[in-house]
Amino acid sequence: MSPLSLIFLIIGGPAALGLVYIFVRGSAGLRRYIVTRIALTLPMVFILASLVFFVLRVIPGDPVSSALGPKGSPETVARLSEQLGLGDPLLVQYGRFLGSVVTLDFGNSLTGAHRPIVDEMSERFPATLELVIPAAILSLAIGIFGGAFAASRRRRTADYSLRLYSVIIYSLPIFWLGLMLQLLFGVKLGWLPIAGRVDAVIGTTLHHITNIYSIDAILTGNWPALRSVLAHLVLPTLTLGLILSGVFVRLTRINVIETLQQDYVEAARARGIRERVVIYNHALKNAMIPVITLIGLQVAILLAGAVLTETVFSWPGMGRYLVERISSRDYTAVQSVITMFALFVALISLAVDILYSLVDPRVRY
Amino acid sequence: MRRRFWVVALIAAFALIAAACGGTATTTTEATTTTAATTTTAGPGTTEATTTTEAMGPKTIIIGTTDTIASLDPADAYATRDWELIKNTGEGLYKWAPGSASDLQPGLATDFPVVSDDGLTYTVTLKDGIKFGDGTDLTAQIYADSINRLLTIGPDCPNGVANALATPYLDSVEATDDHTLVFHLKQAASYFLQILATAPYVPADPNIFPADACVLFPDAPVYGVGPWIITQYTQQEQVVLEPNPYYAGDFKPQVDQIIVKYYSDPQTMALALQNGEIDIAWRFLGSELVQQLESVQDVTVGTINGGSIRYLILNHTMAPFDDDNVRKAVASIIDRNEIADQVFSGQVTPLYSQVPPGFLGANEAFDTAYQSPNMTSAQQYLTDAGYSTSSPLELDLYYPPEHYGTTTADWMQVIKQELESTGMINVTLNSVEWSTYVTALTGGEAYSAGVLGWFFDYPDPSNYLEPFVYNGGEGTNVTKAAEGNAFGVGIDQKSQQLVDLLSQAATETDQTKRADLYGQAQDLYADLVVTLPLFFEPEHVVYASYIHGDAMYDSADSLNIGPTIEFNYSILTTDK
Repeated sequence: MSPLSLIFLIIGGPAALGLVYIFVRGSAGLRRYIVTRIALTLPMVFILASLVFFVLRVIPGDPVSSALGPKGSPETVARLSEQLGLGDPLLVQYGRFLGSVVTLDFGNSLTGAHRPIVDEMSERFPATLELVIPAAILSLAIGIFGGAFAASRRRRTADYSLRLYSVIIYSLPIFWLGLMLQLLFGVKLGWLPIAGRVDAVIGTTLHHITNIYSIDAILTGNWPALRSVLAHLVLPTLTLGLILSGVFVRLTRINVIETLQQDYVEAARARGIRERVVIYNHALKNAMIPVITLIGLQVAILLAGAVLTETVFSWPGMGRYLVERISSRDYTAVQSVITMFALFVALISLAVDILYSLVDPRVRY
Repeated sequence: MRRRFWVVALIAAFALIAAACGGTATTTTEATTTTAATTTTAGPGTTEATTTTEAMGPKTIIIGTTDTIASLDPADAYATRDWELIKNTGEGLYKWAPGSASDLQPGLATDFPVVSDDGLTYTVTLKDGIKFGDGTDLTAQIYADSINRLLTIGPDCPNGVANALATPYLDSVEATDDHTLVFHLKQAASYFLQILATAPYVPADPNIFPADACVLFPDAPVYGVGPWIITQYTQQEQVVLEPNPYYAGDFKPQVDQIIVKYYSDPQTMALALQNGEIDIAWRFLGSELVQQLESVQDVTVGTINGGSIRYLILNHTMAPFDDDNVRKAVASIIDRNEIADQVFSGQVTPLYSQVPPGFLGANEAFDTAYQSPNMTSAQQYLTDAGYSTSSPLELDLYYPPEHYGTTTADWMQVIKQELESTGMINVTLNSVEWSTYVTALTGGEAYSAGVLGWFFDYPDPSNYLEPFVYNGGEGTNVTKAAEGNAFGVGIDQKSQQLVDLLSQAATETDQTKRADLYGQAQDLYADLVVTLPLFFEPEHVVYASYIHGDAMYDSADSLNIGPTIEFNYSILTTDK
């Protein structure tokens, strides 16, 4: 089983079970909603994939000339283009592409190592997941608790400080923040590694199972590797997580402030419930609906942010892969990655919508 | 209860971060011990050495790079890093002495070849006792099969090396006995020995690289008959090399492990070197980063005057460069010293011929012909071409913003200012992303002028002149491609004269006569302004002070990486 299949099984398995559970136990309206959303996702992905296919063919440049550079003779370029099927009529290429999407066998990349794209994604997608998941958790933790804390200290120093933090951190360029963290914690203090996923020497002892290195290290009991992987995760996670936390701080703060003005909050206070409990147990939960909406939207931004973070930290993930392949006009790789991203974002968006009904019982589908 | 939960969670989080931050030193020790075990398993015949190693931990050198690996198949690979790996895991019949681009020595061959009078047959004798990394003997038949594989499936492999370095020259190879190889050439090429020293002529193990398919990335271990075996590689992360126990050549590895670690960004690689994550940063660090690193303690910067050049492509079949006078005007204006000083702080060398200094017959033909900057001549050429201050030449110059480093925009701006200083030229600079750019420029139909870089495949003047003249001329279009004639047909009398000179020089075996012919070819090249050479850029290797090359060979300061840009890992030692 390839690492990609394993990851889909690990993540997709419980998610699918959850979906089935919700589908069976949920209301008829929710069931109808889930079916409609899934049905809408398919044409959405189809339209996006088709758009990408045709746009790539319209823009100048081609994968063979790009790869061979000035040393590629016109004869070599023509022959390799023919071999890669780039000389076929556009509709034939399009039909081949649609077939590859349906079977999820995207064929071989047109540049670089010319390996099966599924294999390349098996290496890159886990790296992105390993970066994006802790970054998302960090940004949510800072955003939600920071926002609630700012709301509870409204118009006091802590509130102003957090609001200032959220504006500054959101407006910082990712690559600048990454570079500063590298200089401070790497070069200056020598506490943390600057780039990569694992120490070069320790990496030779790591057995790759899922290609999520922290999980692989745990599964094989390779504790030095786990320590190294975690150390390598700190700076990129901080960079991506901090940048995204700003918007969550602001959104949570404003929603908690609004919720704190509701009657039921006053009633809770009147009953003598402690302020901390009122804020974090009562108000925060009800302020979460817009935050959950934002989580869904932020997934796409998170993936976009990962592109820059992956470049700064030499993190071999999907974002960097996509940028490299766009530059080299690797049509099949770009189409495949964007299709995968679209599916991923659509599924997260569906999960977020379902979450509404769990967080807020008033939401009915 | 809840408070207790948060306290425990907080402590756990701190513990996790502390473990991640603080464990570096211990971690390395533990892991290196584990690696020692791996080395022992992989290296039969090294028991004694490994026992000592295990007690101290294996000696590892980590080389950082921004070069990606495109292929490990000798019949396909056509990039510097790929060749570096192939030559460290393999060896050719001939090889350059470390740090040298003039001392070609027998490698797998016992001696230099016996060449027939017509220059079409090379007979080479193989050394005895050469083995692949799995212990299989290398016979002349296996070598011949490997080269015939290059000729048969090579042209269909994606990186196209066979079309450049095999099929134009070589007809076939045969093994007449276990040790004798006979190469049959299509046409005499006096530099064929140099071609034999390139990576495509390194023998490929038939168990790894089958006769009927290109295998760009075979499963590890990947080995040849060279000093190293690739024991692991992870795409876009690292390649691990360990000593080949069957290697019997002159360059036995001095350390237990070499790791080539990939970085997506030169800046990150420079920081990693300062942070001690890598021992050597090799390709590519731009001049700005090199200047920064020169001031860092315990780091050495080695400079290699390699053959990487930058030049302007001028399309001879498109206006305005179809006019001799316009080409000569531009050649008279460009001040290469200004580019070198203003943009590179003197770190690049002005180039006055397409053939860089140090190569056979290299001269300064452009300086002799134009003595640029010479504004008076330039204005005269422009006037002769029908331009004036009131009716200036409108010129579009194209360049890729990233492919040749971020300084490209800066030196293109200098060129624009120089050209416009005549008052008779208006320049529009067009920055075009690489993929679009290279397709259009080398296609020869879209841009009249642009910038390209070139690095030789073998250190001979032919490799700096022929590609721009024959077969359409890489966007210059000074010749038309002609079937059965690699050199093509010149678009005018002078172009044809140049084609004939190059053809004559390629078959001449007397080195003095060859030098003279290439000298004449460069003069004619400058007169035609086939391309406009600008500067050649040194390469830099930056390394920690505890890493050493070998003082016995040339260029020890640059870890014995010489003008051929070949990096012999076996020479490296470390005090760490």
